[in-house]
Amino acid sequence: MFDDIPILSIIVFLPLIGAVIAFALGNNKKMAKLIALIFSAITLLLSLLLLTEFNMSTGTFQFTESYTWIETLGISYSLGVDGIGLLMVILTTLLCFLAILFSWDVEKRTHEYMGLMLVLEVGVLGVFMSLDYFLFYIFWEVVLIPMFFLIGIWGGPRKEYAAIKFFIYTHVASLAMLIAILAMYFEAKPMLESLIGHASFGMLDIALVSGNFSYIFQVAVFGALFFGFGVKMPIVPFHTWLPDAHVEAPTAGSVLLAGLLLKMGAYGLVRIALPTLPEGAEAFVPIMLAIAILSILYGAFASLAQRDLKKMVAFSSISHMGIVLLGFATLSEVGIAAGVFQMFAHGLITAVLFMMCGVVQHKVGTREIPLLGGLAPKIPTAATFMTIGFLASLGLPGMVGFVAEFSVFAATFDAFGWLLILPIISVAITAGYYLWALQRTMFGPLTEKIDLSHLKDVSWYEAAPLAVLCVLIVVFGLLPGLAFDMIRPATEIVTGLLGVI
Amino acid sequence: MDLTAVLPEIIMIIFATVLPAVYLGTKNDKIVAGISIAGIVIAMAIVAQFLWNGASPVVFENLLQLDAFSALFMLVFLIVALYVVIASVRYIEKEKHLAEYYTLIMFATVGMMVVASATDLITLFVGIELTSLSSFALVGFRKKDKRGAEAATKYFVIGGLSSAISLYGISLLYGVTHTTNIAEIGAVVGDVTGLGPALYISLVMLIAGFGFKVAIVPFHMWAPDVYEGAPTPIASFLAAGSKKMGMVALFKVFLIGLLAIKADWEIAVAVIAIATMTLGNIMAVNQTSIKRMLAYSSIAQAGYILIVLPIATDYALMGGIFHIITHAFMKGGAFLIVAGLSMSVLGENIADYKGLAKRTPLLALGMAILLFALAGIPPLSGFASKFVLFSSAVDASMIPGDDWMIWLAIAGVLNSALSLYYYARVVKYMYIEKGPESKIKIPTTVAIAIFICVAATVIIGIYPEPIIDACQAAATAFFA
Repeated sequence: MFDDIPILSIIVFLPLIGAVIAFALGNNKKMAKLIALIFSAITLLLSLLLLTEFNMSTGTFQFTESYTWIETLGISYSLGVDGIGLLMVILTTLLCFLAILFSWDVEKRTHEYMGLMLVLEVGVLGVFMSLDYFLFYIFWEVVLIPMFFLIGIWGGPRKEYAAIKFFIYTHVASLAMLIAILAMYFEAKPMLESLIGHASFGMLDIALVSGNFSYIFQVAVFGALFFGFGVKMPIVPFHTWLPDAHVEAPTAGSVLLAGLLLKMGAYGLVRIALPTLPEGAEAFVPIMLAIAILSILYGAFASLAQRDLKKMVAFSSISHMGIVLLGFATLSEVGIAAGVFQMFAHGLITAVLFMMCGVVQHKVGTREIPLLGGLAPKIPTAATFMTIGFLASLGLPGMVGFVAEFSVFAATFDAFGWLLILPIISVAITAGYYLWALQRTMFGPLTEKIDLSHLKDVSWYEAAPLAVLCVLIVVFGLLPGLAFDMIRPATEIVTGLLGVI
Repeated sequence: MDLTAVLPEIIMIIFATVLPAVYLGTKNDKIVAGISIAGIVIAMAIVAQFLWNGASPVVFENLLQLDAFSALFMLVFLIVALYVVIASVRYIEKEKHLAEYYTLIMFATVGMMVVASATDLITLFVGIELTSLSSFALVGFRKKDKRGAEAATKYFVIGGLSSAISLYGISLLYGVTHTTNIAEIGAVVGDVTGLGPALYISLVMLIAGFGFKVAIVPFHMWAPDVYEGAPTPIASFLAAGSKKMGMVALFKVFLIGLLAIKADWEIAVAVIAIATMTLGNIMAVNQTSIKRMLAYSSIAQAGYILIVLPIATDYALMGGIFHIITHAFMKGGAFLIVAGLSMSVLGENIADYKGLAKRTPLLALGMAILLFALAGIPPLSGFASKFVLFSSAVDASMIPGDDWMIWLAIAGVLNSALSLYYYARVVKYMYIEKGPESKIKIPTTVAIAIFICVAATVIIGIYPEPIIDACQAAATAFFA
C-alpha cells in the first residue's frame, strides 16, 4: 500500500503543516484548537495504518526512504522504522493527539500553543524515524525549541528559570552526543570510503564498519553518547533539570516531556549506542548498572519526600526510566526488549499521572499533598483515573507497568543474579509513596484547608484522553504480546550486533 | 594589461566616485542610494558570473588573483555592502553628507575585495588600510553624536596602532625572506632553515596587528565600544564585513606564508582561539546593551573561526569560510534588526525587547531565528557551518600526534552551549516577558535587508549543499 508514497515523510511533516496553519490563524482560538486536533488525529491514524503493512517477522527497517541531501559530507535524508521505532512513533502520535485534546481549555495565546505542540510532534517523530545521524541530530534539537517556549510561556511561577535550565542543560548533552557522532563519522570514513566509496552519516553505513573501531575509541565514544542520551532520560546525577522543568511546565507539556522526550534518550541508547559500539557497551555495563540502580532508588526515595503531587510524579519518572536503563544494562535480548516495553508502558502511565496532576491543579487549585484530602467522594471520576494511574505505576499485575518491570527484573536476575535485590527494594517504596499519596489526597477526611465550594469533576476533554490511556494500560497489561511481538525482532538485531546473545 | 581580475573593484570605484557629484546635481537621496546599489549589483553579477563559469584563476600583475576563493569572498562582502546600503537608506536620509556615506561604504568594500584577492603582502596591507580608513569615517559619521565620535576616535587610534604593528611585522618578514609575495614567502620559509629570531618577531607582530582587526583576545577591547557607538548599520557592516576581511588576511598570511613553520605557532593560535571564544561568550552573558552583547558574541564567533589556523586542512578552511558566510547573515541581520527598532524609538537595551513578539511579531520571529542560528540550533545555517567547522577539529584529531585538536572541538561546543544562554535570554524577553503593547513599524527598506538575512539563514540551514560546494571549491583554490 505504501510502496510508492513516502509515508514516513508524510507522517513527520503533516503536523508541521498543521502548525503553520495554527500559527497563521491568529486569535481564532476555536479554529486553532480544531486544526491542531484534526492534524494530530490524521497523523495518529496514518501511524496506525502503518501497522497494517508492517512486517512483524523481521527486525529490519521498513518503509525506508533515502534521498541524498548534502553529498559532499555524505549526509542523506533517510527515514525508516523497525519494531522499536514504530512503537515509539505510535506512542508519539497517540500522546500528542491526547495532549492536544487535554489542552482544550488553554485560552492564553492558543494558536501559538497549538502550533508549538505540533512542532514538538514533528521533532519527536523525526527522532524516532531518522536513519542518518545528521538528520537525527537536527530533529533531536528541534524538539528543544517548542518545549522551551511551552514551559516559558505557559508554565508555572518559576517558568523562566525552568525553561532556560531545561534548554541549556539538554543542549549541552546534545553537544556531547554531537562530538561522539562526529568522531564515529571520521573514524568510519576511511573504512567506508573503501567499502561503499564515500563517507557517510548514515546510521546503517556506520554500523557496517563500527565493529572495527578500536576498544579505546569505542569506550570513549560510548561514554559521550551515554552522557548525551543519559541526561535526556534522565539518569542520576544528571537529572536536576527534570523536576524543575516538570513542575513548571503546563500539563500537556509535562505529558509530552515525560511521555516522549525522556524516551528519546532511551531510544538513542538502544538505536545508536548499544548496537554501534558493542565493546563500548560491554565496558560500560558496570556503570550503566550502577547508575540504573542509583536512579531507581534515588527517584523512589525522592518521590517519597515530595509535598507537590507533580514533583512526586516527576521523581517517579526518574525511578522508572532507571528501570529502562537496567534492562539495557543486561545487554540481553530479553532485557533490552523489556526495557523498550517499559519505555512504552511508562509513556502511557506517566501521561495519566501528569494529566491527573493537571486536573487536580485546575479543579482544586493546588497540588500540595498536605492541603488535599478526602476528595474522592467529591470528584469520583477523577479519583478513579488517579487510582488506576497510581496502581499501574506501582506495578499492579494486570496492568502494563507490571509486565514491563517484571520482565526487566527477570532479565536482571539472569544477568546479574542477586544484585536484583537492590532495584527490587524500589518496588516496595514505589507502592509506598503512591498509596500514601492516594490516601492523603483522595481518601480520608475531607480537607478543610482549602476552599472546595467550586470543586467540579473532570471535564469531557480531560476524561476522554484519560479513559483512552487507562484502557490501553489494561489492554497492554493483559496482552503484552501485542507490543512485544513488534519489539522482539528488532531487539534480536540489536543483540546480534552486540554479539552476546 | 589584463584587467579581468580587478574588474569588480574598478566598477565599484567608478560608481563610488560619481556618487557625490550626482548628489550635488540632484540633491535626491533615493537616486544616490539607487546608484550605489546598482554599482554593487553590477560588481556582484561580474563576480557571480565568474564563479558560475568555473572560476579558473586570473592574475593581475602578480599582485591580485581572482579565483574561486577570492571571488566567493568578494561576493560575500558585496552582499554585506548591499544589505547595509539598503538598510541605511532611511537611517541616514536626513544627514548632510549622505552621498559620502555610500561612497565610504563602497570604498571600504573595495578594500575588502582587494584583501580577498591579494597575493602580495603590500596589496593586502593597502586593502586593509582602505577599509580601515573608510570605516573610521563611517563610525564617526554622525559627528555631533558624542558616543559615535568617541567610538571613531578609539577605533582610529587602535586601528592606526595595529596597522603600524602589522606593517612592522610585514617589513621584518620581507627582511628575512626578501620578498613580499605571500606564496614566495611560504616557499622561502619552507626551504630555508634558521631564519632566525626576526621571523618569530614578525610572527608575533602579525598576530597582534591582524588580531586587533579581527578583535581576538587580548586585542578585543575596542570592539564593543566601537560597535555600540557606531551607527547601527555600520556596526553590522563592521561585524559582517571588515572583521571577516581581517580573517581572510590571517588565512593568507598563516596558511600560505607561514604554513611551513606551523608547528611553532599552532599551539599559541589554538590557545588564542579558545581564549577568544570563551572570553567573548562570558562577557556577552552580562551585557545589558544588545549591541554590546552582539559585539561580544562577534568576538566569540571570531574565536570559532580562528580554529581553522591550527587545524589548517582543506576541510577546516572550508568550514571556516562557510561559517564566515553564515555569520555575515546571522550577525549582520541581528544588527539590522537592532538598527530598525532603534529607528522606531525602541531603545538598545535588552530590557527594551520585553514583549516584542506582541508588538512586532514578524520582526521578533526574525530575531529569534537569527539568534538561534547564532547559537547553532538546527536546522538553521549557523548549525550547518558550526557542524562543518567543529567537525574539522574532530577530523584532524584522528591523526596521531594531533589528537589534542579534539579540545578545539570540545571548547567550541561548550562555548556554543554557553552562548545559548544569552541568546535564549533575548528570546525569552521577546516572547515570554510582558512589555508595552503599542505596535512597532520599521522602515520598509530595513525590513527588506533583514528579510535577505533571515531568508539566507533559513535556506542555507535547510539546503547547505550549494554553499558547501562553493566553500569547498574556494578552499581547494586557496591551497592550490
